[in-house]
This record gives sequence, C-alpha cells and structure tokens, in this order.
Amino acid sequence: MKEYAYFPGCSLEKMASSYHKSSIETAKKLGIKLKELEDWNCCGATTYFYIDELLAYTLCARNLAIAEKTGLDVVAPCSACYKNMYFTAAHLKKDVDLAEHINFALEEDDLHFNGTVGVKHLIEVFANDIGPEELKNKVTNPLEGIRVAPYYGCQIVRPQKDKEDVEQPMFFEEMISAIGATPVNYPLKMRCCGGSLIISSRTAALGMVRNLLQSAVDAQATVVATACPMCQVNLEVYQQQVNQEFGTNFAVPIMYFTQLIGLSLEIPQKKLGIGQEFIAMAPALRQVIKG
Amino acid sequence: MDKKEKIGVYVCHCGTNIAGVVNVGEVSTWAAENLKNDGVVIARDYKFMCSSLGQELIQKDIKEQGLTRVVVAACSPHLHEATFRNACKGGGLNPYLCELVSIREQDSWVHTDKIAATEKAKAILSGGVSRVIHHEPLEPLHVPIHPATLVVGGGIAGIQAALEIANAGFPVYLVEREPSIGGHMAQFDKTFPTLDCSACILTPKMVDAGNHPNITLLTYSEVEKVDGYVGNFVATIRKRARSVNEADCTGCGICWEKCPKKVVDNVFEAGMGYRKAVYVSFPQAVPKYPVIDRENCTYYIKGTCKACEKFCPTNAINFAQEDEILNVQVGNIILATGYDLFDSRRITQYGYGRLANVFTSLEFERMSNAAGPTGGNIVLRDGKTVPKVVGIVHCVGSRDKNYNEYCSAICCMQSLKFAHLVEERTGAEVYNFYIDIRTPGKGYEEFYHRLLEEGTHFIRGKVAEISDAARLPAEEGKLIMQVEDTLTANQLRVPVDMVILSAGLEPRHDAKEVANRFGISCSADGWLIERHPKLDPVATVTEGIYIAGCVQGPKDIPNSVAQGAAAAARILGKIQQKEVALEPIRATIHEEQCSGCRICNNMCPFNAILFHEDKMVSEVNPALCQGCGTCVAACPAGAISGTGFSNEQILSQINGLLLLNIPKKEVVA
Amino acid sequence: MTDTITFNQEISNLLYAAEGEPIKTCIQCGTCSGTCPVAPYMDHSPRQIIAMINQGMKEQVLESNTFWYCASCYHCTVRCPQDINITELMYALKRYSIWKGQHQEGLIGPTFSEAFVKMIVRGGRSFEPVLAPSYIFSFGMRELVLEVVGATELLLKGRLPIMPARIKRLDNFKRMIGRIIPMGGLE
Repeated sequence: MKEYAYFPGCSLEKMASSYHKSSIETAKKLGIKLKELEDWNCCGATTYFYIDELLAYTLCARNLAIAEKTGLDVVAPCSACYKNMYFTAAHLKKDVDLAEHINFALEEDDLHFNGTVGVKHLIEVFANDIGPEELKNKVTNPLEGIRVAPYYGCQIVRPQKDKEDVEQPMFFEEMISAIGATPVNYPLKMRCCGGSLIISSRTAALGMVRNLLQSAVDAQATVVATACPMCQVNLEVYQQQVNQEFGTNFAVPIMYFTQLIGLSLEIPQKKLGIGQEFIAMAPALRQVIKG
Repeated sequence: MDKKEKIGVYVCHCGTNIAGVVNVGEVSTWAAENLKNDGVVIARDYKFMCSSLGQELIQKDIKEQGLTRVVVAACSPHLHEATFRNACKGGGLNPYLCELVSIREQDSWVHTDKIAATEKAKAILSGGVSRVIHHEPLEPLHVPIHPATLVVGGGIAGIQAALEIANAGFPVYLVEREPSIGGHMAQFDKTFPTLDCSACILTPKMVDAGNHPNITLLTYSEVEKVDGYVGNFVATIRKRARSVNEADCTGCGICWEKCPKKVVDNVFEAGMGYRKAVYVSFPQAVPKYPVIDRENCTYYIKGTCKACEKFCPTNAINFAQEDEILNVQVGNIILATGYDLFDSRRITQYGYGRLANVFTSLEFERMSNAAGPTGGNIVLRDGKTVPKVVGIVHCVGSRDKNYNEYCSAICCMQSLKFAHLVEERTGAEVYNFYIDIRTPGKGYEEFYHRLLEEGTHFIRGKVAEISDAARLPAEEGKLIMQVEDTLTANQLRVPVDMVILSAGLEPRHDAKEVANRFGISCSADGWLIERHPKLDPVATVTEGIYIAGCVQGPKDIPNSVAQGAAAAARILGKIQQKEVALEPIRATIHEEQCSGCRICNNMCPFNAILFHEDKMVSEVNPALCQGCGTCVAACPAGAISGTGFSNEQILSQINGLLLLNIPKKEVVA
Repeated sequence: MTDTITFNQEISNLLYAAEGEPIKTCIQCGTCSGTCPVAPYMDHSPRQIIAMINQGMKEQVLESNTFWYCASCYHCTVRCPQDINITELMYALKRYSIWKGQHQEGLIGPTFSEAFVKMIVRGGRSFEPVLAPSYIFSFGMRELVLEVVGATELLLKGRLPIMPARIKRLDNFKRMIGRIIPMGGLE
C-alpha cells in the first residue's frame, strides 16, 4: 500500500469537505493511504505572498518540515497549496541562504527543512501512481454517457516545473476516459476561474466564471470536474450570481474528480460528500448512480 | 641557458580598450626594470601595436637592438598572433620566436578595478617573457592542395558554391540527401520583395549544376565520414540505392504514373499533397531520375506489384540495387546543409495540428504554388472554401526564450509576401500580428510600405492564443486570435477564417552530428560557427572547411547565395596557391621514452598516430597532426611533447605568471 | 553613474521568486496582456505596467488597479518569450504597495490581504467568517447582501466552520513568525 503525508489545507476542512471525504475514500479504495499531517498550518494561499515573501515561504516550510519527519512525500489536493509547497521546496533547495534563514525560524517549533520531501498534487498521484490503465481495471460502475469537462485551472500545471505540457495536458481526460465517462474537449480548460478575485474584484471574476461555464456548456458537458477547492467554489457557489449578472441559466454541477472516481468505484454517495452541493449532481448523474 | 636572449616587450593600448583599465605605461616601465634578468632589453607601450607603425616599431628594434625574442601584450592570439609573427618575420626574426599574451580579453575587458588589472597585466606579461625564452625557431609545413571540392547540401547556397568553383575549372562533388537538388527554395512560390517566381530563377541554376562537366552530382546520398586535413580530405559518401539504373532511365515518368501506391508527401509538399512510392520530388527535379521509397513501396513490403518494372520502357527499374560507398579525395569542403522549419506544434496555444485552418508558412508556400496541391488556390483545409479574413502570426518559434531566442530574419518579409498573395488572389482582409517589423534588405522596407498602401492591417502584438472558443455570434465558426494591440493597449479578439504561422528557422535536427563528423562546432543554438562573425563569416576554425547559407544562421536567399559564392571564392584562392602552409605546432614522440602502450593511438582525433609493430613504438604523422595536445596529456610515460607547448614552456610560463622569476625585494611592512 | 535606486530596481529587489533581473528585458510584445483573462478590467495592461516600471512611473503604477486584479493564474508567465515571471512581479507590486501604504482607493484587495495575514498569524489557519467583516465594508450595498446570502447558504450546507480552526502548537508558531518579523510584525 502506497502511503503519503496528506496536507488537506484550510479549504478542505469545511468549505470543501466533500473533496476531503472523497479523496480519502477513493484513495483508500485504490490502495493509497493518505496520512494527515499533524498540526499543519495554512499554506498562505496567494494572499500571503502579497505581504511578505519570506514569511510566506516560512509558512510552507513548516508544513514541509513536518512532512519530512514522516519520511513520506506530501500530497495536497488544493492547487494553491500544492503550488506554494512545491515552489517553496524548490527555492529552499536551490538557495542555501534562504533555507538557513527559514530553518532558524523553524527551530522555534523544533523543525528543520532538509530538502528531502517530494511534493505532489493529489491528481498527480491518481494520474501517475495509479494511472489510467489500473484505474480502468478497478472501475466497477463505468460512468457511461456522462460528458465531463475536465477543468485543469491554473496552479496544477502552472508555473512550469520542468518540460511538461502547460498548454494542452491530457492526463485529466485520460482519467475521465478510464472511469468510463466521456471527456469533452473545450477550449477554456486551462483558463483561470478568477481565484481570489471573487472576493476582491467580483465583476471580473464573475465574467471569468461565465466564460468557463459557457465554454463547457457549448461543448455539451453535463458535469465539470475540478481538482481544486477554489475553482469548485467559484464555479459552483457563484453560478447563481453569474446567472443573475449575465442573464444566463447555467445549472452545471461542479464535481471534484475524486467524487467522479468514487462513483465509478461504487463508493456510497454520502461518503463522497455528494449532497452538500449547491447545484444538485443527481440529475446529471441519474443514469450511473446506484443505490 | 647558453646565451642570454635579448627580449623586446610591447604593451598595446588598443585605444582605450586596454589603456582605459590597465595602466599600460606602468606595465612597460615595470617590465623594463623587473624583467631585466630574464633578458628584457627594451619595453615600450604604443597606442595600436597592430597598426603598421606599431609593427614597424618591432621590426626596427629587431634590426637595431638585435632582439632575439619578442613579447606583445595586446589582444588574443586568435585575432593578431599572425600579425605579430609576420612583423617579426619582416624584421628578420623567425616568426615562432614571438609570443602574444592577452591583456585585453583576459584582463581589461573582464575587470573594472584598475589597480588590480594593472597588476594582473604585469603577471601575464611576465608569464609570456618566461615562456618565450624557451621558444624554438620553427618552419611551417607545406602540403599540396587537392583541386577538387566537396559541397554538402544542394540548396541554393550549395548550388551557387558548386557552380562558382566548377565554372572556374575545378572539379566539385555536390552531395544532397534528398532525391533532387533545389532545397527549400524549390518549394517556394514567389520570392520577396520582387515577387519573381522562385522556380523560374532557381531551375536554370539546378540544370546548370546537373549538366556541368565539372560537377559530379550525388543526390539521395550522404557523407558518412571525413578523414584527412586541409588540402587532403577523403570523404566517404553513401549513395543510397534509388532502385533505378540511372544509365538506363530517361525520366519519362511512366513508372510513377503506373505506381498504385499513394504516399503523403511530408517533405516537399509539407504534408499537403501526395506522391507515389516511386517518385521525383517535383517536376523540375535534378537529376530527373526517380527513386523508389522502399519503406512505402508495395513490392518491398509484400513482395508483389512491380508495376513500375512492368511498364518501364527502358528496363531501368532495379529492385536489387544496393547502396554504394564512394571515397572521394578533395582539398576543401563546403557545408551548406541548410535549416529545418520550426515545428509549430510545439506552441500548443496556436492550435496547429488541432485547429484545421491553422497553416504553417511552408504549407502556405505549397498552397500558393501553382504546381502545388491546390493548384495555387488559397483555400481552407476543406480544399474549397476561400477565406474572407486571414491572420498571419509573425515570430512563431523565434524571439522567444521558450523556443528560440534569436530572430529568424526572414519571417517578416515572408509574412508580408503572404499577405500580398492572399490579398491579390482572394481579396481577403489580412491581419499581420507582429512584434517589430524588420526589413533590413534592399527593397524590403519599400515592400512593407507597399503592403501598408494595399490596406493590410498591421497589429503590433504577439498573438497570445488562437482558439475556436466563440463568445459572440460574429465569432461562431471562426478562429479567434487573442492579442493585445500594444499601440492602443486594446485587448483584441480577432475572428479569422485562416491563420498562417510564420514559423522560424531552426538548425537541422542532426546539425550537431554533422558538425562532429566534419570536426567543427555548433553554437548553443545549434548553428555552425564561423571563424569570425564579421570578418570571416564563411570559414570555420578547421582549415579547409567552409560554411554557407542557413547552416551558419537564418538568412534569406540573397545572403545565402552571397555566402555560397564567398565560400567558393575562398576555396578558389586556396586552390590557386596549390599548396598550403600548416602550423608547425605538432606533437612528437620521443622514441626512447615510448613504452608502446598505444594509449595515444586511439585518442588522437585526427588518426595521426601510427604504431610501428617492429619497434613497438608509436609515431606521429606531422601532416595529420593538428597540435591539439590530447596525446601529450594522455601519455603515461611523458614521451610526447607538443612543439610550442613543451613542459618547459608551460611550466616557465606558470612560474612567470606567479612572478617567481622576479628577484624578491625586501618586504615593506 | 548614480547611487539612486530606480523604481525598477526597487521592484526587482522585492522579487525573490522571479529573480528580479529580467523585468528590464521586456520587449513589449503584449503576450502577457493578450493572455491575461483579467486584462479587460485593468487600468493598465500588464505589458503597460512593465513599461511604466521601466520608465520609473512609480506613482501611476501604485495608483493602478492592475496588480490587485491579477488572479495569479501564471498564464502570462508560462508564455512570456523573455522568461519574465510576470505573476511574481504582480506579487512584488502588491507587497510594495502595502509596504508603502499607497494604493488606489476603494480596492478590496489590500484590505483583504492584510486581514487575511493577520488572521493566519494569530490562528495559523484560514477561517472565512472572521475574515469577512474586516473587508466587507468595502463592498457596495448590493454585493454586501449577496455576500451575506452566500455565507448563510454555505453555513446551512455545513460548509462554513462555526469555530475557527487553530493549530495546536500556536505559541511555537507565533515565536517562529517572530523570528521572521522581529518587530512584532503585523500584530
């Protein structure tokens, strides 16, 4: 059984608890153990970097150092947490002066960052460690006939880490195909949902959400799948507001990819947090929901 | 030392290049005083040592002061070693008794601290003086030059070079990888800025090259190996089996007419059209003989068919033909292997390969060509719809650190040409998306102005992405080009029917291997490196090997032709000299010290070391040795020394650099 | 040569992640602005902001909403032909603006970020309800109503925490932050 240190991040504590539940459950069913990091702190989101870069790195370094103690790689289901931790680790490994400064602060909590920990996004674990082939073999309830728009959003693939395709990746589509659903090809799959602009610059963010939903609906998607709590909230919770603002009538369920995988593995809906959503998933999923 | 050498020291100001940082007066005074024991009898500084007055200064001192050694502290040997050696020779001193040390590249150009730089100049100079004492008078080796030339690559640059040399009366082997010569220029429709037909100006040259009595045309062939040195290269060429006997073939075309196998032509037609399994690349191909593409021919795959053989009126088809290996002796080599087009698929946000109506520049060239797949009609991928709005993206894969940092030089003019052709033939509205318009060529800027007058739209902004994500009714079914008009700061979404990506030029995918094969080097980008970027653009650091055309860097047709002719002129000059003087910097093996271990034998990059089985010792062939020093360093017995780079010379220079030759003064606290 | 630090250098110095330097290598091609999904809402496009920084137009840059409207999607960054990390540049401008206490009036971004950071420094984890009041006054009336409606709904669906989560070793955590911001920082 493969094991990871699991960093849920603040959103998954409540706002995106269905993501948390479905991640744990699906991972377990697929033979991956997610062991929650003890006493973790906020990754700083994007906001912390607005104030003080050094402090933002320190926050992430604390979590990384805690993860290092377990000897496991750390996995984050939230794209912003993932990006912050990944790049903090990369900067600290590259810059010994920065690492020394931050380790000095970490001493206060008896922690030390050595640079041994690997950072992964949850979807990477599903896409690489399990992979579409193995996933396909484990599916007992293929989600046939469900047209899913894979929404990558931003910080899973951007900024660029190595030589990976940051414009047209396909791993999400492959996963959707593996669970028997149909991935739809729509041009805005890599576009930003607006992120925290939903709080600070509402009009702009709503426009961005509208464009995304429109693009998915134009491609006849019945469900949008995401791998980030921020994207999920923007696309789902604010969908009604988009409708009011632009006179549209979207009613697209926005599901975590783990919920879709969970359904294909016949994990009970409740364990996947289905039912907590604003836009009911049931109508779109009627044909594949069992029990 | 038997006798005391009389050394002259000359410190160059190089204008302010050196004197701006190094106190040259102080350095020469210091040398006169402190290097006396080493034999320095005179030390001078002068504004430009390389000027004729500077050189005369050295010659005068040799004659009047009886100098036996000369040290010049100036620029790098790469630039002026030959100058000062010649000056010494003119003064009656053996040129190899001169040493040039660099206080510019290695000192004034890389330091800002004037005091430290001056001290460093003294040390460098002291090293040169310590070294020059151990120099020996040498005589250059003279070897004859074989009058034949090998030209690799049959594009316009190679054709031009071959014709120049052949017309002067000397033999040329013109080797081309593809079945026909002509290169990229044969694929184009019109040439900028005059819009004359590319084939009309190219084919006469191709025919000339094909018929020339002094040119041996080797198409469908590749150079596999090169041995030897300037004047005496031996090239091993693989002439791939065409499966057609050239002696019998008349080029009548019945075979490709009858061949039942259609193949997508990814080379000449850029994937836009088809050819047969037996084919000539294009109607005007030179030579006229077809080749059978064995990977796609039904006979080679399944063992049956032979339609071509059945119908060939002269029995020229030869399925059993094998590759031939030819060894040719040549005196000089020109590499004119050209470029590859940037693969536009790499910029995924431009949608090439995903969005049907995004075309590459080469696809558009074929499409606009009357002999091309659409008969010269500019149409969408469906083969019939004429576009009403066309967007042309400049700088695709160029001027972008994600792909290639350099400017590909031809794309602006190419894009302007495309815009003109689209407007002329379809009446469509054309948008050019550019970062900067670069038209540095005769008549180029005027062509740009003509396009402006024609009403072509120019939007200054690099296209961010191209998609089919319509937001407005007017965008439905269109390609939407998203871009900032940087001159007005407006965010634009321009709906178009067709996009042409003006793709940049890249080094050939195998440029590095080719460079290795010929013993020359590539820049970080992959273009082959010329000897000097301004003053010697067609020679390379390897004597006898020249480069011409896009293999050296992106350039247009006029510049490629000019380089082809320039390389030819350089070689003709060499051939006329009949022999070439080789640097006497060579390795020698001291027989009595050689243990016969043969370690050096395989290490020599020039295969210059042979082994005498009878005496069990190795020996260096001075004509092949390039003086690289690899064997000197490798010899475990220390039996090999390099002329001009003996242990004594190098160790003395190090001692000099460390100022160990200066008598210790009393330490002042 | 002068010893005055230019605005460009000041911003470069605040750019650890982007390694500062490349801002001045901008060729003004507009890829960033053409890519940016928020550009239509910005006072100045990202490209213009870079030009303005390089021209030393400090006041105009700080008064623009551009960097507060950056959603950190990094799309411009992966496409920039000059390898300029434009997103990190926007972060640096936010930091500079908060540091100097100078920004366009009526923006929620600066107030929100300060509130957010104070909260994490106090509690270690992010918590939405505490956060809301500190920035909510900046909303217009209509937005305020919508926000309250949204929050109530989230609460009803069990998606907002009732009590703010706190980390266990909070004292250690605070001392750790103290070593980074020795003067008591934002508290």
